[in-house]
Amino acid sequence: MMALESQAPHWEWYYIALYFFIGGVSAGAYFIGSLIELLGYEKHREVSKAAYRIAFPLICITPVLLIADLGRPERFWHLFFSNGPGSIYTNHTSPLSVGTWALLVYSGMSFLSFLNVQVEDGRLALPALKKVHEMFSRLPHKVYAAIGSFFGFFVAGYTGVLLNTTARPLWAGTDPWIGALFIVSAASTGAAAIALVMARRQALAPDTARSLQTFEQPVMIAELAIIVVMLAVAGRYAVPLLTGLSGVLFLGGAVLLGLLVPLGRQFMARAGTAERDGGVIITSAFILAGSAFLRIALVQAGQS
Amino acid sequence: MNAKGMFVDTSICTGCKACQVACKEWNGLSGEPSHFAKKAGYPYRVANNFSGRSYDNTQNLSATDWRHVRFIEQFNADRSEARWLFASDSCKHCNNAGCLNACPVQAIVRTDLGNVFVKQEVCIGCKYCIPACPYGVISFDQRTGTVHKCTLCNDRIHNGLGTACAKACPTGSIAFGDVPDLKMRADARLVQLKKLGYEKANIYGYDEAGGLNVFYLFLDKPEVYGQPEKPVVPQDRLHISSGVTVAAAIAVAVGAAIAFRERGEKKDKP
Ligand code: SF4
Repeated sequence: MMALESQAPHWEWYYIALYFFIGGVSAGAYFIGSLIELLGYEKHREVSKAAYRIAFPLICITPVLLIADLGRPERFWHLFFSNGPGSIYTNHTSPLSVGTWALLVYSGMSFLSFLNVQVEDGRLALPALKKVHEMFSRLPHKVYAAIGSFFGFFVAGYTGVLLNTTARPLWAGTDPWIGALFIVSAASTGAAAIALVMARRQALAPDTARSLQTFEQPVMIAELAIIVVMLAVAGRYAVPLLTGLSGVLFLGGAVLLGLLVPLGRQFMARAGTAERDGGVIITSAFILAGSAFLRIALVQAGQS
Repeated sequence: MNAKGMFVDTSICTGCKACQVACKEWNGLSGEPSHFAKKAGYPYRVANNFSGRSYDNTQNLSATDWRHVRFIEQFNADRSEARWLFASDSCKHCNNAGCLNACPVQAIVRTDLGNVFVKQEVCIGCKYCIPACPYGVISFDQRTGTVHKCTLCNDRIHNGLGTACAKACPTGSIAFGDVPDLKMRADARLVQLKKLGYEKANIYGYDEAGGLNVFYLFLDKPEVYGQPEKPVVPQDRLHISSGVTVAAAIAVAVGAAIAFRERGEKKDKP
């Protein structure tokens, strides 16, 4: 039985839902890029590089959003070093605590991978950063790709587990599916962001475009399937997600524009070749917007 | 040391709200800001918390209302018959406390007397404990940027006193003491009430959320009093949702390995 009277945290969508989205795109892009690097798929090195170029700048935005939503922003450091016991602190029963640590590690790894790309392209000018890069280059790049990839998945998924681990009817009722939903949605948005950036620079080889689509399509179909299961599991607790403004965002924004339209566009273009640059940009934009709507709807509906 | 707690015998509550007043007094709590609003012609904010539907004017627990005497006002269609039930509600000081489990900074702690306490100087105002409480107790205060709730009168009980609400209760509906003693008292009272014909009387809080240090004797089902029949401590589900998420992550990783391999490596390497 669900709590009759759980309270909403009043998280602002423009901080928390947006963090879920931006963190998801960054982490999704990163784990795709790092997996390609780890598996040694040299042919797709450009995908990895694009992923790393996206992941780090995006993740830099997220602490700002997270700290801004705190009641006492100046105390954010308590998340790492608690002034209660006066020591480094994690609470393993709190997804928020563990997730914050994961975000820290992930940010570090995505920074190192970003530096690598800059060096590879001969664009790293700052001497201080060069030193950092030299220092960490003693470790094989694959080491931090591996660590970053693990924590990238973590960052993409923990936010869903965090919502599930509450007593709010919608979030508790959809347990245990939001984590999985956020993972697949991070994967499709990560791929979409990579495709978008590469297409804009007209650097998207047809082969690469096809691989990205081959990855995106089953992931988006899985996302639809998870949504169906999640709604079925939630039953009447899903009502806030399907009605009102959240309903419009969820059904119209996330499901229709974010999943069905991109899938439709890709299947239409499929006859023979992958989409051309212009098409890829539009499809990717739909996927990205849809995932933002998905998170806003879930965060808001859970609090109504 | 035995955990301290409270036994709330709702069968003898008269709804006088003395406990609410005592709680405000002792803990120095202000009026609930959301209960006051600007009104034309008044230089100050005036109370606007009269619903017209209930004699209960505070209506719920909040960051400034740590105690709330819930009025259950049941009438038949022509209002010729009525039943009024009262239950003084507060934080239950759960032994498996969702709020404490969720706190990322150790601002919410359990003291040696078993009460769950928010350290104001540690709380960062992330608000994650709020949806984690299955009872909707813990609340955020804009003015301090932190969360607040009943402390079980942490200062009083660590100095040999009982809670302020129990002290003020004129009927003995709220009893403070060692939890095992209180349980004996509750069991005896339940037997007495059943004998008197209160068939539905039940004790709420022996097993819920790992056992509640503040527990209740209700005359009707817990739902009637706005309490969940089977409260789920959210973190009890953490393993399953983490597991499903990890499975999804593995599936995505495998998907990536296949999708990018297809046209990438197969042809090049024999
Ligand atoms: S009733 Fe809510 S606020 Fe009180 S200890 Fe339990 S979970 Fe925490």
